[in-house]
Amino acid sequence: MNASRCAAAALALAVLAAGCGSASRPARTPGPAAVPLSLTTAVTGSGATWAAVPMGAASGANQFWELFMIPADGSQWSLQTPPDIATNGALILGGQAGQGIVVGERPSLYLTFSAITTTSDGGNTWTTLPPVSGLADVPDALGVASGGRLIALSGHQDVSVTRAAASWTTLTTRQALAATPAARACALTELTAAAYTPAGSPMLAGTCGRAGTVGIFAYAGGTWHQAGPALPAALAGQPVRVLRLSQAGRVDVALLQAGTGPSAGLIGAWTSDGGQRWKLSAPFGLGGAYAVSASFGSDGATEVVLSGQRGETLAGPGASWRALPPLPPGRTVTLALPAAGITDALAADGSSLTVWQLRPGSAAWARTQAIKVPIQYGSSS
Amino acid sequence: MGLEVTGALPGMNSGLNADDPTVVAAFRAALLHQGLIILAVFAVLSIAWVAVRRPQAGGAAGGSAAVPEPSARQVLRIGFGLLWLLDGMLQAQPRMAAGLPSQVIEPTASSSPDWVQHLVNWAGTTWSYHPIQAGAATVWIQAGIGLWLLAAPRGAASRLAGLASAGWGLVVWVFGESFGGIFAPGLTWLFGAPGAALAYCAAGVLVALPERSWRTPRLGRVILAGLGLFLAGMAVLQAWPGRGFWQGISGRGPGTLAGMVQTMAQTPQPRVIADLVSGFGSFTGRHGFAVNLFAVVVLGVIAVAFITGRPALIRPALAAFVVLCLADWVLVEDMGIFGGLGTDPNSMIPMALLAAGGYLAVTRVPAAAPALAEPAPAAAGVKAGGPDTIGAGPTGSWRDRLRPAAVRQSAATASFGTMVSAGAVAVILLGAAPMAGAQASPAASTILAQAVDGDSVPVDIPTPGFTLTDQHGRQVPLSGLRGKVVLLTFLDPVCVTDCPLIAQEFRQAGQLLGGDARRVELVAVDVNPLYNELAYTQAFDRQEGLAGVPDWLYLTGSPDRLRQVYQAYGVTSETSPGGAMLAHNDVAFVIDQAGHLRQELNFDPGPGTAATKSSFAAQLADAATQLVGAS
Repeated sequence: MNASRCAAAALALAVLAAGCGSASRPARTPGPAAVPLSLTTAVTGSGATWAAVPMGAASGANQFWELFMIPADGSQWSLQTPPDIATNGALILGGQAGQGIVVGERPSLYLTFSAITTTSDGGNTWTTLPPVSGLADVPDALGVASGGRLIALSGHQDVSVTRAAASWTTLTTRQALAATPAARACALTELTAAAYTPAGSPMLAGTCGRAGTVGIFAYAGGTWHQAGPALPAALAGQPVRVLRLSQAGRVDVALLQAGTGPSAGLIGAWTSDGGQRWKLSAPFGLGGAYAVSASFGSDGATEVVLSGQRGETLAGPGASWRALPPLPPGRTVTLALPAAGITDALAADGSSLTVWQLRPGSAAWARTQAIKVPIQYGSSS
Repeated sequence: MGLEVTGALPGMNSGLNADDPTVVAAFRAALLHQGLIILAVFAVLSIAWVAVRRPQAGGAAGGSAAVPEPSARQVLRIGFGLLWLLDGMLQAQPRMAAGLPSQVIEPTASSSPDWVQHLVNWAGTTWSYHPIQAGAATVWIQAGIGLWLLAAPRGAASRLAGLASAGWGLVVWVFGESFGGIFAPGLTWLFGAPGAALAYCAAGVLVALPERSWRTPRLGRVILAGLGLFLAGMAVLQAWPGRGFWQGISGRGPGTLAGMVQTMAQTPQPRVIADLVSGFGSFTGRHGFAVNLFAVVVLGVIAVAFITGRPALIRPALAAFVVLCLADWVLVEDMGIFGGLGTDPNSMIPMALLAAGGYLAVTRVPAAAPALAEPAPAAAGVKAGGPDTIGAGPTGSWRDRLRPAAVRQSAATASFGTMVSAGAVAVILLGAAPMAGAQASPAASTILAQAVDGDSVPVDIPTPGFTLTDQHGRQVPLSGLRGKVVLLTFLDPVCVTDCPLIAQEFRQAGQLLGGDARRVELVAVDVNPLYNELAYTQAFDRQEGLAGVPDWLYLTGSPDRLRQVYQAYGVTSETSPGGAMLAHNDVAFVIDQAGHLRQELNFDPGPGTAATKSSFAAQLADAATQLVGAS
C-alpha cells in the first residue's frame, strides 16, 4: 500500500472512530430525596391568610405567580398580586401582620435582583422596600420580624438583613456560617431557610453533611449556635433536610425530612424560644412519596401536599399527623388554613383557580369558589 | 420578543424570521447592486478584450486543441464548476440572509462537540451580525468560483480555480457543515458524511494538480482507492451494532435511518418528491434490516472493487455507485435543494463525480504532451502554460511579465476564457469585499434594528423640559445637558425582558461612540412610578453594568412628576393585571446639543439576540455621531 492509500486508510479509520465514539450517555435522574419543595405556600396570621400560587403555563415565561388573600373574617379569596412587576420568578411570602404581608419577587428572565413589596391593607395599596440580591429558590428565603426587620437568603447563599426600609447589609454567608463551630459540627452544605424567632433573633436552616444532625442555627450574642432539635434515636443515622423553617405566630415551625427513598419520613418541629426547646411530631413515613409543598397556619399548624394527590396535616405543636381526603384535581394544589379547623385547597390550572374547603368533621372537599385570573400570556416573552 | 440563545452557539441566531421582509428586500437590493457592478465589470472586460485582442493563428484554441484536457480533470472541473454555480444560485434564495445561521448551520452543529460548536459559532455570529453582506458574499464567491472553473480549462488559471474551490470548500466544510458532522453521533454516508464540501475540496485539489499528474493511471487509482477505503469505513459504520441502522422501528418511533428520511420528507418541496421520500421512509421503517443490509453490502462490494483498481471491476462498480448515489440523493438526501434554505445538492452528486473522475483517470489516460506538461522556457512574446492562462504571455520573471509591453501582449493574446476567468476573479473579490469591510466594524449591521422596528422618524422640535433625580441623588434638569447629544429612553427597573436589553444597547452604543462618548449623554427615565426609589434605579444599574458608566443617567422622581414626563413624551405606563409587568412603550429619542428632538426611534428590542442588540446600539451610535459631527 503506497502513501496515498495509507492516508486514505487513516482518514477512513478516523471517520470510523468518530462515528463509533459517539454513543450517548444515559441521563441521570434525581431520586425522591432530591425533589425540591415547591415555592407555593400559604401563611395565616391574625388578620388574613395569604397564598402564593403558580398559574398560567406550567413553567417558563408564561407562568405567573399569583397572590390570593382571604381576611380572617371573610369567606372569599381575592386576587391581590402585587402590581407593576412580573411574577414569573415566584412570590416569596415573608410574613404578615394584620391584613398586611411582605412579598419578595424572585428573579426571572433578565431581572437578577429581587424587589420587595408590602401592603398593610389587604393588597389595596402596595409600597416598595429596598431590593435585595436575588432571593433563593426556597419558600423561606424571606423572613420578617417586628419593627420592619427583614432577613433574606439569596441564591448565592448570602444572608442579608435590613431594618425599617434601610439598605440591606450582609449578616453572613454560607461559607462564613460553615466556618463557625456550630456549623462545622453539622458539616453544613447549603442554606435552605431564613427566619426570625418570635423574639426577633435571626435563624437559619440548612442541610448538614453529618447524618442525624438538624441544620438549624440561631444568632445570639454575636455568634451562631446550633439550634436544631435532637432527633429520636431511631433517626440518629439518617440524613436530615430542613424543608421549611418559618415563624408562624408565636412559634417557629420547621418541617424536616429524615432519611431518603421509601424509608424517608417527615417530622414537624416547633419552638417558641429560638430553638432551645423543641416539640416534635412523630415521623410520618413517606413510603416512596415526597413532599410537594407545605403551608403554615397561625401558631404552627402545618399542612403538607404530598405527591400522588395526598395531603397530611398537623394541627399544631406536638400534634400527630392526620391524613386529608384525596386532594381535589388541579395542576397545583396549595393548602391553606384560613381559620381554626378549616382547610382550603386552592387548585390552580392555567388561569383558573378553584377553592375547595374541608370543614371540621367533613370527609370530603366542598367546592366554594372559582376565580378567573386575567393572566397576560406573552407579556414576559 | 424572546430570550437570547444560550449554550455553545449563542451568536448563531439573529432572532429574525428567515422571511423577514426588510432583510429579504435588503438582500435582494444588495444582490442587484452588486450584480449590476459585476455586469459592468464584464462589459468593460469584454470591450477591452475585443479592442486589444489579436486573433491567434490556428484559431482561438491555439495549441490547446492539439492535446485535449484530460477527460477526468475535465469532468471534475466542469462538474464542480456547475455545482458551484448552482450553489451560488441557491445561496441567492431570499431566506438565506437571515435564515442560514439559525436554520442551517446551527442545527448542523448542535450535535457536534462543544469545541466544534464554538468554532462554528464564530462564523455564525459573523453572519448574523452582517446577514446581507455575508449572504451576498457567499453568492458571489461561489458563483465566481464556478464560473472560474468553467472558464479556465488549462494552465495556471485553471489550477488556481481549483485551489479557490478547495479553499472555499474547506471554509464551507468547517463552518457551514461543522466538519461534515464527522464528530457528531449518527454519522452515515447515506446522509452525506463526511460532508459535500469535503468532496468539493478534494475535487479542487485534484484540479489544482499539475496536468502531468493526469498523464498516468496512477492518480485515478489513488482516487478510487481512497474512495474505496472511505466507503469501506462507511460500510462498517453502517453495519456497526448499536447505532440503530438495523432497526426500522426503534421503540415507539422510527429507527435511525427511517427517522432521518422521514425528517427530510417534512421539508417544503414538490408533493411528488415529498411522497417519494415519505414512501421510502415508510418502507425503511418496515424493512429497516433489509435496507441497511443492502446498503452495507453494496457499499462494501463497491469499496473492494475501487480498491483493486482493475478496470474490469471498476466499471460495473462505478455504474452501481452512480445508481446508488442517485437513489440516495433522491430518496434519502431529498436532493438537498428544497425548503428555501437548501445550500447545495448535498453529497451524492459530488461523490459520483469524484468516482467518475477517478474512473476516467484510470481508463482514459491522455497521450503524453511534453510541450504542455512541461512548458519550456521560450523567448519573450511566446505564450506559456496554455492559451487560457491569466498572465500568460511573455515568460521570464514576474517583473518582466508586468512590463507594459508584456501586459499589452498578454491582453492581445488572451482568449475568451481568460477574459471570463478574470471576470470570475472580479466576481469573487467584489462579493467578498463588502463582507470584509463589514468585519472591520465591531457592531452589527443596522438592518437588523430596522427589520425589528422600522426606520426612525426624523423630527426637529424642542424637547419638553423636566428635572428629575439621577441614580446618585442629584437633581438633573434636561436643560442642564445642553451642549451634548442626549440619547433618551424610558426604562422600568424591575422589567424582566425589554428594559435590560435596551439598557445593554445604550451601554454598547456608548462604547461604539469611542472618543465621541464624552459629547453624548445616555439618559433613561424610570417608567415605573411604583418602583421609583433610588435603590431600584441603582439596583438596575448594577444589574446592567451601568453603575460605572460616566455618561449614564437613570432619572427618577415622584410618581406625579414622572407621569408628567411620560405625558410630555407620549410614553405610556400602565398597570397590567395578573402578575404581568408594567406595560410601557419602548422608545428612544435623539436630542441634539440645542435641546431639539431630532429622531424618535421605535425601540422594541425584538428578539434580544447579541446581533440585534448590537444593531440597535449601532443605530443609536450612528444617530449620535451624525449630530456630534454636524456640530
